Amino acid sequence: MSRLAGLTGFKTLARREILRFLRRPRNTFVPPFVTNVLYFSVFGVILGDRVGEISIGASTEPIPYILFILPGLVVLGAISNAFENASFSIFHGRWNDYIEETLTSPMSYSRMVVAYIVAGATRGLLVGGLIAVIGAFFTPVGVAQPLYLVAFALVITLLFSSFGVVGGLWADDWDNLTMMNQFIVRPLVFFGGVFYAVRELPSPYQELSMLNPMVYMVNGVRYGFLGVSEVDPNWSLAVLSGLTAAILALDIVLFKRGYGLTD
Amino acid sequence: MTGAIEVENLRKQYEGVQALDGVSLSVPEGSFFGLLGPNGAGKTTFINILVGLVRRSGGRAEVFGHDVEDDYREARDAIGLAPQEFNVDHFFPIREVLEHKAGYHGIPASEAAERADEVLKQVGIYEKRDTRFNWLSGGMKRRFMLARALITDPDLLILDEPTAGVDVQLRHDLWDLITELNESGTTILLTTHYIEEAERLCDEVAILDSGNLLTVATPEELMDRGPDKIRVTLRNPPVGTPDMPMLRGGGAGSEDRIEAVEMDGDQLVVTATQGGLVAPDLVRALDRAGHEIVNFDISRTSLEEVFVDMTREGGSDQESAEAVAADGGERQ
Repeated sequence: MSRLAGLTGFKTLARREILRFLRRPRNTFVPPFVTNVLYFSVFGVILGDRVGEISIGASTEPIPYILFILPGLVVLGAISNAFENASFSIFHGRWNDYIEETLTSPMSYSRMVVAYIVAGATRGLLVGGLIAVIGAFFTPVGVAQPLYLVAFALVITLLFSSFGVVGGLWADDWDNLTMMNQFIVRPLVFFGGVFYAVRELPSPYQELSMLNPMVYMVNGVRYGFLGVSEVDPNWSLAVLSGLTAAILALDIVLFKRGYGLTD
Repeated sequence: MTGAIEVENLRKQYEGVQALDGVSLSVPEGSFFGLLGPNGAGKTTFINILVGLVRRSGGRAEVFGHDVEDDYREARDAIGLAPQEFNVDHFFPIREVLEHKAGYHGIPASEAAERADEVLKQVGIYEKRDTRFNWLSGGMKRRFMLARALITDPDLLILDEPTAGVDVQLRHDLWDLITELNESGTTILLTTHYIEEAERLCDEVAILDSGNLLTVATPEELMDRGPDKIRVTLRNPPVGTPDMPMLRGGGAGSEDRIEAVEMDGDQLVVTATQGGLVAPDLVRALDRAGHEIVNFDISRTSLEEVFVDMTREGGSDQESAEAVAADGGERQ
């Protein structure tokens, strides 16, 4: 099979995966829309008025609470959707056996994996963008560091889409998928500095929080939007990129070995 | 010439179950090859190893000279598979499912669309092209499975029970279509429970049982191995079987082929291997013994009877299977 034919296979699978969620906007975009309108209303407007402003660095100006939580909510929506899309797509294909259409094709395993990941990341980016737009209706928001914002948005959605592939291969029941998202992804995000500044936590919680990769993601995206971060954005970007490459490699190995796919 | 499928000492072990136990088999390019066996014989495991859905435990498996694991992309590119179980993407209308399948095989989008229409027309469900798979009737689903296998214009078409649960008319339609494909050069590997199907379509059949290959032969050869029934209607039938040396096994010649003799009303029923060779001697012997023959008929053993006989014995009776192997077949 030629390289060009292999690329056609990749493009076909990625397109199929993207069309699957685009053709169901009620499933893809309505839930995060409703959830984030509620988040911005309750946490941003109602509670935000009481919290006032929040400072995330000694040398930076305090920022309104609703603006503070906006990047975190974008991250939450983006990575949840990236993870869900990849994990659901693979698990659903396994559950109903139609993943065999792909597995019995001459596509290379690495192209299959990248197609699933790209589609998941695309969904994450679209939902993240939607949340940013919703936030803009509640509070004026600019983009202080556009390149960083794009880079972090890409890396975190690719990372969680890659995690989603592992989840989709590992799960042997629908409950496993729900469990991964509800009990692993969301708690990490909530304790990752979405709703509070990590530097305000007492020791040892502040130090423990720094072990949570979400802290780096939330702060990276916050740096992109607001130009301020509790951690060095370059260091965060490097670590997250390395982690993404590692999980991508793991995905490819699992596919090659047929983990969860072949008997 | 490289065979379409070359398998040597192929083994697959699941937890505690030997699904394939050292199968060696060669399917010639361009042939129509049947894979028969009872449920659990290892047929689907065999197929799934070829297409990459099952990893072999040992042995060698090649498709057109390409190892199914080391050169999996080349091997899979040559295969079109219509599996027994429905495994179709039900998020998309069937036309798009076909376009996707073609795309996975590297066929550009515009060509894939044309081919999708072509194969949907070929199997007779073009008017349902915008329908999702789950909304098709059972027969249409079977037709679609074949369309999906054909969309990539495969050199090797693997059909796992393609006519399971379909009505007679559709079965005949599918047979015609498959036969045409084979005549145009496509190698066909067919598994079926309908022995009549194998008898009618296949150049060669392999019989698997409990993961073992019992034999590979043409349907004709297999039927020759089974006994035929010679029915002779007599004018004044005796109470018991006629007392003749030939029927007692006392003569010298074709009576060695006789396995059983019994009376069934006014008919003498002689079970014999290659009944056509026994018949002349039997007629002469009856005539000499003074019996008047009213009617005479030889019915050949069906492939189904041979199959039932072999698989009843084959899984557990080592001697029987080896005897079959010695008779021109294979056994691992």
